[in-house]
Amino acid sequence: MALRFEDDFLKKLEYLHVVSKRAFVGQNRADRLAPKRGRGLEFADHRGYTPGDDFRQIDWKAYKRLGKLLLRLYDEEQDLPIYLFIDSSQSMREPAKFDQARRIAAALCYIGLAHLDRITILPFDKVVGQEVQPGRGKGRIFRVFEMLEAMDTAGPTNFRETFVKFATRPRQQGLAVVISDFLDPNGFEPGLKMLASMGHDIFVVHVASQADRNPGALGDLRFVDAETGDIRDVDVTPALAKAYGEAWQAHADELASFCGRYNLGYVRADAEEAFDTIILKTFRKGRFLA
Amino acid sequence: MSFGTMAAWQAVGLVAVAAAAAWLLFRIKVRPPRVQVPTLLLWRRVLDQIREMTWWERVRRAVSLAATILIAVVLALAVTRPGPGAGPASQGRTLIVLDSSWSMAARTSTGETRWQRAVRQARTLAAAAGGDVALATTADGLVEAPTSDVALIETAIDRLAPSGGEDTAWPRVPGADRVHFITDGATERVVDTAITIHSVFEAAPNVAIVAFGARPASAGAAAGEAYVQVANYATSPQKVKLTVSRGTSVISSNSVDLAAGEAVSQVVPLAAAGGARLMARVEAPDDSLAEDNEAFAWIDGADPIEVTLVSENPGALAGLIGSDSRVRVTHVKPADYRVSREGVVIFDRWLPAEPPGRPALAIAPPDSAWLGHKTTDERFARWTRGGNHPVLAGVDPLTVDMRRVTGYESADLAPLARSEKGTPLISVGDTNDRRLVVWTFALADTNLANAPGFPVLAGNTLEWLGRPSYGVLRKPGPVRLPPSTSRVVSPAGQPVPLVRTADAVVARLPQPGLYLVDAAGSRGVIGVNVGDPQISNVSRSSLAGLPVSQVASGGAGRPWWMLAVALGFVLVAAEWWTWQRRVTV
Repeated sequence: MALRFEDDFLKKLEYLHVVSKRAFVGQNRADRLAPKRGRGLEFADHRGYTPGDDFRQIDWKAYKRLGKLLLRLYDEEQDLPIYLFIDSSQSMREPAKFDQARRIAAALCYIGLAHLDRITILPFDKVVGQEVQPGRGKGRIFRVFEMLEAMDTAGPTNFRETFVKFATRPRQQGLAVVISDFLDPNGFEPGLKMLASMGHDIFVVHVASQADRNPGALGDLRFVDAETGDIRDVDVTPALAKAYGEAWQAHADELASFCGRYNLGYVRADAEEAFDTIILKTFRKGRFLA
Repeated sequence: MSFGTMAAWQAVGLVAVAAAAAWLLFRIKVRPPRVQVPTLLLWRRVLDQIREMTWWERVRRAVSLAATILIAVVLALAVTRPGPGAGPASQGRTLIVLDSSWSMAARTSTGETRWQRAVRQARTLAAAAGGDVALATTADGLVEAPTSDVALIETAIDRLAPSGGEDTAWPRVPGADRVHFITDGATERVVDTAITIHSVFEAAPNVAIVAFGARPASAGAAAGEAYVQVANYATSPQKVKLTVSRGTSVISSNSVDLAAGEAVSQVVPLAAAGGARLMARVEAPDDSLAEDNEAFAWIDGADPIEVTLVSENPGALAGLIGSDSRVRVTHVKPADYRVSREGVVIFDRWLPAEPPGRPALAIAPPDSAWLGHKTTDERFARWTRGGNHPVLAGVDPLTVDMRRVTGYESADLAPLARSEKGTPLISVGDTNDRRLVVWTFALADTNLANAPGFPVLAGNTLEWLGRPSYGVLRKPGPVRLPPSTSRVVSPAGQPVPLVRTADAVVARLPQPGLYLVDAAGSRGVIGVNVGDPQISNVSRSSLAGLPVSQVASGGAGRPWWMLAVALGFVLVAAEWWTWQRRVTV
């Protein structure tokens, strides 16, 4: 799949920025408010002078008026660490679904890069794969495109193992975006709970396709699990197909309900839905982009 | 039950094997198609969930198995050709004769026709007969030679329909052990006492046109008149609506109260102008036979004949012929003669190099390569002998003086009238595609122009050449036509098959209506009507007092194997449809 966006679309993306519910401490100066005082442009407060403070920050007008040496304090504006988890397990092997996931990741990357955020792309299946940090600035988007185009599906899904491995390295707290179909035989809850416990602001992008929601065919079928290779012969009757559809809907509702309960952002991105609609409307409606 | 193609034990064995094969095939597990799914997680949840099965889900497999076995059984049964026959079938030869007279088309109280009852009975007899079966009708004779294949008999029965044949000879098949005659007895026949008669008779009311035609007016100013006779063969009085049409116009429409068994005649005056096609129709509340509700007739001479007179000096001839209002004469010189395709051509002392391709009168013709050559002259010939040909009808030869006659010989001509010395005076040729009349005398050499017989002779000649009258047949059936007949067209516009013999063409006119006859450029019409006191009185039967077996009404009439095949296809279709929707397995 060739991941290329048209110029008009890229311009629209530049007007957007990723919304985090919390402020995080970044590493570099950027245009995102950090939870500490620093050298930003926005005035924040005064404090009393203590020896060793920078004379340049003394508010001489306040000294003239009050006769006290006060230091001007400013908000710090830093970058936001964004961790983009992309499910590359075999359950995502359906081209429409995986392409949609990669397109969403590319768009979010571009928005982040355009606002000098620090992006980390983490493909995962049963564990986190090789992570990529493209750097800062929107010019790095082509590296992101190349990396996403080269990405392939393999292995089973395991959220818990993925995030355990993710937690083995010390990382700055930031925004964690998980793009997946959330079809983990062990359940998605332990993994997401663990990720939330690391102090990250989590946003869940649930990618699904028509093939996930509906078995498609009726009759005697041999279902093969794409991740494990397990086989199950099923005589799919209309009633059974309906029950399967209901089970999938229950799974989706369960995920949405979990996200609501743990204050995680949730957006559903169906593979059949137009990509720009998801980015420009669905994500904004879900308050993930503004 | 009997089986047409095998013994009973073989049939039972075949059905059992078919059922077992169907059961085995049903049990065979076909490898299902592989479908790769993202995960079996959700399927496991669905399948592991204890779900209450509906009643249909519990029984659907058994229903599918039963349907599959039933399909195999009915198809196997169809192969065995089952029939309602009781006891073992004999190996003799059976002849089934269907009475195909028009009265068999009468509707019975159950709504079916006598013919439908007869066909059903014929099928039953054929299925139960065993051995060879032959099929015949009273109209067509033998329609299917002796055969052991009941399907051939079935197919032959499907082709048949009432078509008359009241007067035909009794069909015979050598070596027939049993003969079944299925009839309503409306047409009286003397049949052998060994023949088993099956009666489909049921008294039925009927109203019919039993006579219809056109004739010159007997009185008044009208040019002609149509006469029609309507009869009520019901046991109660009826109000009958009678309509007479000429061409597309209704010329008479009235209601007639007819007592039971009463017949009334009506005369409808016909104007000189108008079409030649006449049709009468009756409508009545109690009427079981539709075929005799319409009758057709043709007004001879309603359309003028186009005549081309080819002569250097026609003299009085053109005026004499042209004085007839039913003739339209065009005079041309021999040098200007061109072959045309309409009307009659008269060659006066001249003949073209090629045959004219249409009916022609040759007066004192010269030698010709295509017609013949002149022979000896005879002075003061006396016309003494004449035949009964339509050309000579009403011609008085004694008033004709002939000063000079030149004999003419041709292989295609047959002399109708000769002189005392044997010189042909008037000859006709009616061979394949050639219709000719030859007068061997010139008008100038006779007193014919002044003789009373001349208009009659000229009128007869032109009528016979250009507008031959074939009259009205009272019953459909075979008709002999002139050898020059090239085509007969049915009322539906379809050509009727012709059989040529040495001196005639025979056509079988199967349905009522007006048939168009083309004969060497002439055009005639034959009217065929069904209505007849013998046929239309469907309340009486000649079977009274005879040992007959009465055929009951009702029933499908189709052989069992056809029903079995139909049931098999219905079941297959139902299985396929429900399988597609996974209603069944």
